[in-house]
Amino acid sequence: MARLVVLGGGVAGHTAATFAAKWLGSAHEVVVVTPNAKWNWIPSNIWVGVGQMTKEEVTFDLAGVYAKAGITYKQAKAVSLNPEGDTSSDKPFVTIEYTGQDKVGESENVEYDYILNATGPKLNFDATPGLGDGKGQMGDHTVSVCTADHAVHAAHKLQEAIEKMKKGERQKFLIGTGHGMCTCQGAAFEYIFNIEHELRKAGVRDMADMKWISNESFLGDFGMGGLHLKVGGYVVSSKLFAESLFAERDVEWLIGAHTSKVEAGKVEYELLDGSKGEEEFDFAMLIPPFAGVGIKAYDKAGEDITDTVFAPNGFMKVDANYGAGAYENWKASDWPRTYQNPTYSNMFAAGIAFAPPHIISKPMSSPNGTPINPTPPRTGMPSGIIGKAVAHSICDLIKKGDSAHLHEASMAEMGAACVASAGKGIFTGTAAAMTVYPVVPDFEKYPGTGRDTDYTFGEIGLAGHWIKHILHHLFIYKAKLQPGWTLIPE
Amino acid sequence: MIKEIIKYPTPLSIEFGVNVRLFNEELFTLIDDLKDTINENNLQALSAFEIGDYHNVILIKNGDGSFLELINPSLITHSGKITTQEQTAYYGELTAEVTRFEKVSLVYQDREAKNCSLQAEGDLAILLQRKLDYLFGATFIQKLSKDEREKFELKLEYGTNIGIKDYCPTTFFRDKILKAINFLMLLMLGIALSSLFIEEKSILESMWEYQSYGFLVVFFLNICYFFYAQYEGKKYISCTSCQIGNIIGTLFISLIKLTLLYVASYILIPSS
Repeated sequence: MARLVVLGGGVAGHTAATFAAKWLGSAHEVVVVTPNAKWNWIPSNIWVGVGQMTKEEVTFDLAGVYAKAGITYKQAKAVSLNPEGDTSSDKPFVTIEYTGQDKVGESENVEYDYILNATGPKLNFDATPGLGDGKGQMGDHTVSVCTADHAVHAAHKLQEAIEKMKKGERQKFLIGTGHGMCTCQGAAFEYIFNIEHELRKAGVRDMADMKWISNESFLGDFGMGGLHLKVGGYVVSSKLFAESLFAERDVEWLIGAHTSKVEAGKVEYELLDGSKGEEEFDFAMLIPPFAGVGIKAYDKAGEDITDTVFAPNGFMKVDANYGAGAYENWKASDWPRTYQNPTYSNMFAAGIAFAPPHIISKPMSSPNGTPINPTPPRTGMPSGIIGKAVAHSICDLIKKGDSAHLHEASMAEMGAACVASAGKGIFTGTAAAMTVYPVVPDFEKYPGTGRDTDYTFGEIGLAGHWIKHILHHLFIYKAKLQPGWTLIPE
Repeated sequence: MIKEIIKYPTPLSIEFGVNVRLFNEELFTLIDDLKDTINENNLQALSAFEIGDYHNVILIKNGDGSFLELINPSLITHSGKITTQEQTAYYGELTAEVTRFEKVSLVYQDREAKNCSLQAEGDLAILLQRKLDYLFGATFIQKLSKDEREKFELKLEYGTNIGIKDYCPTTFFRDKILKAINFLMLLMLGIALSSLFIEEKSILESMWEYQSYGFLVVFFLNICYFFYAQYEGKKYISCTSCQIGNIIGTLFISLIKLTLLYVASYILIPSS
């Protein structure tokens, strides 16, 4: 009987664990280690953040679902890996620390035959002084919509701001990215226009000044180099679309910006041209940069081998080409295919937890040397596809032995879909539904943008908004393993 | 090499805004082609897109004849708004009122791939924004207000800036008078035909009376139409040709219809 340990219960980890449990049956054991008690459909946190959905609508308890699937569930966070075992045993193990199940703070060594690292990112608030509290958590000056709890807090703060505006006090909203190396601009984009929609509904839009601050190199870049959109029969680049949307909704913008410091009611920033400035705010939602969760690794003798297993940013090394060099040398083939760790073949990583070979966008930095560019977006769709492929590989390794062929899922050969809503009414909502293929540009196959322009497209309208609603229900249904869940694609 | 500049109505490609990755001979040839094309056509600036290349390259000709080469330009900050009349090679002589940012700052690379920045205001800022739009497959038409866009679409249709400042309405008020005339005549025809099914003398008498009033009203409306149509025709003199002929013709047809209707009523309604 083999044991697969999955670290993390997000899109990649949950998908991998549930499929592995189904394919392996009761002959082998699947263990999920995740610090959270609940599964969260993160895209809908935007709606929680404006008070249009409750936390309960976007989350559900994992324990029941894992019990049903025959998965051993440990509510704990992974602290360290011993891929070679220790002095007393050759069996590899992961050290975990409980965060729930009445064992908070207790440590345990969980032995494994195979391990999948799908921890997702650490929300690295502390990368920007003042954005974090100095202890790894979000600071007091800004809000976030990265977790369901953060989103509930954001909705509360938004309500306070609306009350102030109703009493005649002007409010300044600053939304965007909190660092020069952020991803997830799409989420911030959704949030600013959902807030704008809510302020209009509350009749206080005229009391609000709104500003977008982001590390994109052009408005409408969305961290993936932009795309073309179909808007009411016209085809327009996302840059032109975003510029007219911002102008139409009276939202100011600032791009190519690295938020260097956050204080109460004020941020300091540095721009791509090296100039520095300040921006005041009453309400700010700034997305933090991501980092690995900080798992350590030790060899048999107890020596620290974290640098061997993980990249400097804390993400796990996989079968990617980390020595690609300068931007002009980057190739689609630098991107991993099997997500297997090059040193330890029973270790895999999926979703945001694997270390990408390099960023996707063109690297940019200010004359002072501050890098300011979006980092690779890894939305739910690629994460789910990678999680499933890795689960497939591990199941084959367990069932067929070490010679089994590994399943491949390169981000340079897969598309991603993203729906960015700008308001949540059933008839008044609008959303941009966008697809990008491939996620990582392949300049050899598609000269020019590196993307297939037939499949890299978007559409704006009410239909996109309905799709976002449908996806919300569909993916929560799937994650709960309701009848027919395997038929729903990633 | 001098290249052909893409002009309306050739549609703009949807391949757009590709960052230059390799600073090699291919890029330098593109820059030389842009220079030659600018000089040949006596232009102020060109984006690579305008000569059918989708790389992010803009060339601006300075006053002293030297060139500013902007590779991978990106507009990062802006302030102020300004509305001016713009003209661009794609639309030839046609102009439009476009609202732009008054001051902009850009980052770009030079031919050695060195990162540079640039602050611009006034005419240069406007020129840069127009050329940046091209890099994303757009012309200033996407930047126009709804009204200005409608006006510009008319300019495109007529291929000229002249005489369509007060742009032509798609419907004229005089057509509404014609509509009323036709409606009344249709009503009169209805009365004439329905008289065939009525025997009561008193009703038939009042029907004839209505027809007579109808005749007078329609005749009066035709007179109104004649004079008002001429007034309206003078107001939008540039919109259609030979209006007076049209008006007289329309009036003539309308009066013939009215006469025929009156004669038919006289024959059909027994009490007349």
